[in-house]
Amino acid sequence: MQLNEHSAIERLSALGLDDMPVIEFTPKRCPLNPDWFKKYCELRREFLSSLSDSLEEIAFMNLPQNEFMGLIMGQSLPDNLSIRFRIPLLWGGELKIENMFMCMTFPHSFNLDKFIIEQSDAKTIFLPNPERKVYLTTHTGGGGAGGNATSDRLSQSAFNFMSGRGNE
Amino acid sequence: MTTAEFLSLIKSRGATIFAPTSATEITVATTNLQNIRAAMLQPFMLDLYKHCSGITLGSACIFGPTEIQRGTKYPMPSIEKINHDMIGNKNLFGKTVFGRNDLFWFAFDVNGNCLMLDNLTLSVLRKYDDPYRAMMDCLIVGKI
Repeated sequence: MQLNEHSAIERLSALGLDDMPVIEFTPKRCPLNPDWFKKYCELRREFLSSLSDSLEEIAFMNLPQNEFMGLIMGQSLPDNLSIRFRIPLLWGGELKIENMFMCMTFPHSFNLDKFIIEQSDAKTIFLPNPERKVYLTTHTGGGGAGGNATSDRLSQSAFNFMSGRGNE
Repeated sequence: MTTAEFLSLIKSRGATIFAPTSATEITVATTNLQNIRAAMLQPFMLDLYKHCSGITLGSACIFGPTEIQRGTKYPMPSIEKINHDMIGNKNLFGKTVFGRNDLFWFAFDVNGNCLMLDNLTLSVLRKYDDPYRAMMDCLIVGKI
């Protein structure tokens, strides 16, 4: 299905990703280096270690305390979080942190897979290209249930961050 | 390898294995897959579903016969929902998607062969003789 920029944004909106910027791209299959998987594994760890500059977005994910700490310290990726390429490796995307972003596996990463697969027979493809390293929809989450638990405080501070940006 | 051995191995790698659901739910899932003309659940999947209703390891998962609630996290969709969403994709005719990770999707066909599909076009990248090897390859990428 060949989309234009307007219909691509409309389709993303229908998939619940209404604030996702897109880039137009002409896909061309590129061979992968034999050691791509080893490099990919290293790059994922490097990407996780680099997330300390994305505290605002991560705090808004409402993760339990142990998962939050593991993530910002670059030790582990919690369940239901995915690291995606902006330009896929098979289409010549580079193995660089700048070519990666993180989002929730369900529903976001799965819906982005669907969005790309739907365009698989098109000449030019619109690829998701969020502004920051961590993608969250602006309507994600809320203020939490309250109380003194760390996850509640994180939710509250995340809500404050987003309120400050006019995204509440 | 048996299903029990596979589950034990993947659990030792940190996977979350969800409790099995009822036989009725498995039958409903099979019927629903038949209705959308996807491949019927193969013996290895039926055996897996007797032991568990889904597996996650990081961002990788094997879908179960029913949606799985995960506390504050977004629920994991059922195998039927995933395949229903992909109706009409010509690369999935006669196949049923049973798992995904950040790089690949995994499916089985009507003959019981497991396949690794690329997550851009769903074209077949690899064919497996051993379903447990396919499920292992699917899950292990979730925690690298």
